[in-house]
Amino acid sequence: MDNSKKKLSLGQKQSLAGWAFLTPAVLFIAVMSFLPMIQALFLSFKSGAGANLSWTGVTNYVRMFQDPVFMQALKNNFIYLIIQVPIMLILALILASLLNNKDLRFKGLFRTAIFLPCATSLVSYAVIFRSLFAVDGLVNTILIKLGFLSTGYNFLGHPNSARIVIILALIWRWTGYNMVFYLSGLQNIEYSIYESAKIDGASPIQSFWGITVPLLKPTILLTAIMSTNGTLQLFDESVNLTYGGPSNATITMSHYIYNVSFKYVPNFGYAAAMSYLILFLVAVLAFLQMKVGDKRD
Amino acid sequence: MKKKIVSLLLAGAMVASLTACGNSGSGGQASGGKDGGAKGGNELTVWCWDPAFNIYSMNEAAKVYQKDHPDFKLNVVETPWADVQTKLTTAATSGKLDTLPDIILLQDNAFQKNVLTYPDAFKDITASGIDFTQFAKAKTAYSVVNGKNYGVPFDNGAVVACYRTDILEQAGYKVDDFKDITWSKYQQMGEEILAKTGKPLLSCQAGESDLIMMMLQSAGGSLFDKDGKPSMVGNDKLKKVMETYASLVKSGVLIEVNDWDQYVGTLTNSTVGGTINGCWIMASIQTAEDQSGKWAITNMPKLEGVDGATNYSNNGGSSWAITSACKNTDLAYDFMAKTFAGSTSFYETILPKSGALSTYLPAAQSKVYAEPQKFFGDAPVYATITDFASKIPSNNTGVYYYEARDAVATAITNVVAGADIDAEIKTAEDTVNFAMGK
Repeated sequence: MDNSKKKLSLGQKQSLAGWAFLTPAVLFIAVMSFLPMIQALFLSFKSGAGANLSWTGVTNYVRMFQDPVFMQALKNNFIYLIIQVPIMLILALILASLLNNKDLRFKGLFRTAIFLPCATSLVSYAVIFRSLFAVDGLVNTILIKLGFLSTGYNFLGHPNSARIVIILALIWRWTGYNMVFYLSGLQNIEYSIYESAKIDGASPIQSFWGITVPLLKPTILLTAIMSTNGTLQLFDESVNLTYGGPSNATITMSHYIYNVSFKYVPNFGYAAAMSYLILFLVAVLAFLQMKVGDKRD
Repeated sequence: MKKKIVSLLLAGAMVASLTACGNSGSGGQASGGKDGGAKGGNELTVWCWDPAFNIYSMNEAAKVYQKDHPDFKLNVVETPWADVQTKLTTAATSGKLDTLPDIILLQDNAFQKNVLTYPDAFKDITASGIDFTQFAKAKTAYSVVNGKNYGVPFDNGAVVACYRTDILEQAGYKVDDFKDITWSKYQQMGEEILAKTGKPLLSCQAGESDLIMMMLQSAGGSLFDKDGKPSMVGNDKLKKVMETYASLVKSGVLIEVNDWDQYVGTLTNSTVGGTINGCWIMASIQTAEDQSGKWAITNMPKLEGVDGATNYSNNGGSSWAITSACKNTDLAYDFMAKTFAGSTSFYETILPKSGALSTYLPAAQSKVYAEPQKFFGDAPVYATITDFASKIPSNNTGVYYYEARDAVATAITNVVAGADIDAEIKTAEDTVNFAMGK
């Protein structure tokens, strides 16, 4: 025993201890996360109802592009992505730089108020938005009282307005979350830079575009990738706010995958294949964003 | 120092929450193992979901059975329907059927799908000694697969048309004017009521096909043929149903709302003058105590110009299935035969408290069923509904019923928005065919 211990140098001992601490976590992640992912990959090459699966090669991957509902869901996801993510990130950036102002009072209160939405449960906020936009809900009541409408408009009953409600809900829920990343990023920018810009006669808008945005680029990249990922995996809003309707106008890919697995006759192979398409899309988009966004020398 | 204390507290909280998770997890595991129907003896385990309704009924059934079998024990595990379906799917796909209990309650709409997808999970109970002829025929049909019985029918989903007598009166109508009518007569009277009172006669949930399916079944129509193939294109009944529905929406007699709560709200807030749904909706109606005595029920309107059209249909309901995990099948059969399928007094016990209307026909003769109900204008509504139940035409749900329902819901949403009915029905059939892998 003693001999073997002596053979190890201090550095080796330390790295051994390090590995010993790492091993349980690595094992758990491998078994609980990576193993199922690999199994899902195999599963995605099988097809059949319930437990009666058989190997079908790439059929599932061909099939999803012929599936009108899945194509609709893919389209919806990209509508959310293209409209919602830029609006949300710009809004978060503006809010963060406003709240970073040293002279602003009650900063803590504002920060908490803006961050609070993302501490609410996904299901309950979706349900609240649904009741807000109901035919006899708050939004319609206000619009009628103000004279914009004569009778309640069924926001969730029309494809475009239903999508807008989902986008509004997403912006409300996630802007504060992204703002916190920007705020912490802003702490790393020396305030003196802003001061010297001010002395040089730069307007607040100029210093926002000239200082804040370029220096926050890594953070913006991070939030863009996270938002893309989140939007492509959108589930709760589609399920709870609009039930995917009217006539699949707001259904998301994850919602359809859930239906295929649990609501309809289960076809786990097909569901796994669709999940892998989402993974592929997220990977490609993240790669593109890194290429475009990361211009470090 | 302060920091240290805080971090200590945080770490403590984390450990506590972790162990809490671990505990609840293993607790669930342990009870999962115990739920398994692997043991013999005098005990049966059941999964069902509603404490005021089916759990209550099951426990009462156990009490009835215990009178003759004092050793009998029943273990009811409260399991929401979505969980029943997920657990069943997991157990069957992983081959661990012994994790299932002895008896599970299945939604009628999902019965065929589950029996056909997981044939190994259920026991054929055709020859179990349970007398299936005593149940309403359309109801039993949900749990018959390939001519074999797999379920004991439980609650009744017979469709009732409920009307607010006070609102009808304002337009000069009585409930009897709505008995045995057709949909066009219904729409005509509905338009008059709308003009005089400003209230639509009917509301339903947009994006759901409940009303469509009720109309379709009332004429003996289905979305699938006898072989389980979709039969939508060229289905005159379905086309007529869609036309009727779209015309009702257009006239304003039928309003669509977005979710279930809003739907119940239209009933309890007096937004509409009536509703048409499975008789279980009466429990929701009765939550508006201030409307007591103002409601009355009758049968639903029937389709016009369609063969086999009736004023009766079905929506919802559930049936008991015995799983292959059940080792003590004789006990399970005997228990079901002597309670749910053989005891009028049992149904008399559960009716007043839970409103669990049976599809067990002999129970309809019981005095309890004939008692007047104050909320519904002192009419003996339960006897009426049990009578309705015996007249419902059956329909084929098939395996791909949920796919078809969603496809039809999509179609009707587009039709209401102005799309061509034939084209939409074709798209719906294509969607279902696609789901079936054709």
